[in-house]
Amino acid sequence: MQAADPNLVAIHLPIRAITLDPMPAIVEVDHLTKNFGPVRALDDLSFSVAEGEVFGFLGPNGAGKTTTIRILLGLLRPDAGTARIGGHDCWNDHSRAAPLFGATLEQPGLYGYLSGRDNLRQFARIVGPVNERQITDLLALVGMTERADDKVKRYSMGMRQRLALAQALLGRPRLLVLDEPTNGLDPNGIHGLRLLLRRLASEQALTIFLSSHLLSEVEELCDRVVILHRGQVRAVGPLVELMNSKGYVYQIDVSDVGGALAIVRSIDGVRAERGTPSDSITVFSGTDLARVINRALVTAGIEVDQLVRTQRGLEDIYIELTGVPSASPLSAPPTEVAVP
Amino acid sequence: MMLTILVRNELEKTWRSRWMVFAVLGGLFLLIAAGLYSFYVSHDHRWSPPPPVAWQTQLRSDIANNQSTLDNLQVVKQQAGTRGRTLFNGRALNAAEGQLQQAIAADQYLIEHDIAPLSAYSMTRAALFGFGGIVMFLLVRIFGWLASEQIAGERSDRTIAILLSRPPSREQVLLAKAIASFLISLAVVLVSFLVAYAIVAFIMGSLGPVTGQVGIAIDGSKPLSPDNLVTMPILLFLLMCIGAAMLAVLCVQGMSLLISVLTTRWAAIGITLAILFGASLLSGVVAGIITLIGSAQSAHFLNYAFFNVLAPVGSIAPVFGNGATEVGKGMHEFGSEVATLAVWTVGFFAAAWFFFRRREEAG
Repeated sequence: MQAADPNLVAIHLPIRAITLDPMPAIVEVDHLTKNFGPVRALDDLSFSVAEGEVFGFLGPNGAGKTTTIRILLGLLRPDAGTARIGGHDCWNDHSRAAPLFGATLEQPGLYGYLSGRDNLRQFARIVGPVNERQITDLLALVGMTERADDKVKRYSMGMRQRLALAQALLGRPRLLVLDEPTNGLDPNGIHGLRLLLRRLASEQALTIFLSSHLLSEVEELCDRVVILHRGQVRAVGPLVELMNSKGYVYQIDVSDVGGALAIVRSIDGVRAERGTPSDSITVFSGTDLARVINRALVTAGIEVDQLVRTQRGLEDIYIELTGVPSASPLSAPPTEVAVP
Repeated sequence: MMLTILVRNELEKTWRSRWMVFAVLGGLFLLIAAGLYSFYVSHDHRWSPPPPVAWQTQLRSDIANNQSTLDNLQVVKQQAGTRGRTLFNGRALNAAEGQLQQAIAADQYLIEHDIAPLSAYSMTRAALFGFGGIVMFLLVRIFGWLASEQIAGERSDRTIAILLSRPPSREQVLLAKAIASFLISLAVVLVSFLVAYAIVAFIMGSLGPVTGQVGIAIDGSKPLSPDNLVTMPILLFLLMCIGAAMLAVLCVQGMSLLISVLTTRWAAIGITLAILFGASLLSGVVAGIITLIGSAQSAHFLNYAFFNVLAPVGSIAPVFGNGATEVGKGMHEFGSEVATLAVWTVGFFAAAWFFFRRREEAG
């Protein structure tokens, strides 16, 4: 069990009824296209997010994540296709779509000359009805009680992110759109945010649309993901299926590396190479062939000290689909990654 | 309801971010009042206001002064004629002579018909000064600056994205910003009028009546006559001046909002102030050149540029002096300037609305 974040305090928010029926889509993006001059930012983008889902929105810089989010928020008009929230068109029917969601953007938009509490009051009045008690509760929820009456211009980036999250939660939205919410947060802040989002998703059945570069966060939190590259969907689906669909990796410690490689390479659908440490081999396969591989090695008289099966991580899939390492999306040029 | 909430938000934001501007304005008012009082004390060697003078007495005194000046002018002209010298500024002397004669005739007409001029009462004179002179010239530029930040500032602070992603429509957001700007400027204009009224009342020795009628020339360049004079109650005149001054403020705010819709904070402030100060200056130079080549009447079309009609109250009558005895003064000119302002105001707001509705916020 993980330790509770000292910044977070208990808050009692109403829990919405949870049904077992398939949840309807709250976000529907249909053949969305957006150009900025000659640059095509989004190219026939389609996906949907079901109500109650924690949805990861991934892609390197310039993939079109922020453009998509800004279209959802009613800030950009699509050139073609539609974006709907709760069935309402995000541009043409914005005033009906807007009450359904709260959002934070990569650079939190807050009034620096107002205190954190007054910032929330500003937005609370227009999303209303939100009373003072709820504002105080939200400030406590994001761990900002002590600094609530300080001017926002004196806040750190992490504090602004937390206040922006509280702002997004005003009016009890059904959908929370978060664009890089961990931007500027320290490890404790990231951990606290992860706990908070998990709580919001489970206790309030809140739909969370999470755009992030931190794949470990997405992997841990999200039910489904979309991976975007150059304005196009490269992969979409439940995280587990996505990782399974891309195959398995085995780390096998053996007594004879050369012999083991020869034996394993004779099995259909398998690719093998020398591993690290040197008395091991690494084996890739599209389906789970652990038993077949083990049996073949033992039958050939090769001793197997250890066979570790791992699914490929989200990061591996992300790099494969986008050609960009997630940790340094700008520093590394797109590279060809060997696919098993 | 939503509009009221948005207006309240805008008022709070403007006050909390720009309270220093209002504090400086307040300080400026106090300084002007203190400076004028010091001048009065040193000039008149008294601490209390002078005894009030009836307007008829004041007009008779003005007639005597004007007659004396006229006599002197005529002496100068005769001496120049006797010596056979051509006066370099003969044309200007003739114009001044004509203006003095008309002022004397106008004052006599007002006394004979018992019609008080605008200069008769503290309130009407303060209205001319407070709504039509240098005070409004400066205030509309400050209001233009503040309005230019309304949307551009939110864009620079990145708050526009969150604001526009929320339920209020863009039309509501724009309207709330315009209303808030207008209410703030109305409060400042009324305070500045009260300060002007207090100063003028002190100088004139009386707060003056708030009831009664005042006479205004329809065309200031022509002699007063039953066809060239309009009379109205003092309070109506005051309301007319407030209305015209606030229309000018609204016009500037419309222009500033339009610029604000299209740019970011510093660009918006820069463009707004460049237009409000630079364009007036440029227009003055152009008008001067045209007047030198042709006549003052030839440059009159420049009055239809909105930055030249931003103090329409100033066109009713001279702030100082007894009445309308100038070309381009009078109710007719005032009406034309107000109509011009109204057209520009509608145009600016329509353009701001058009662009704001379509404007995409790409971040």
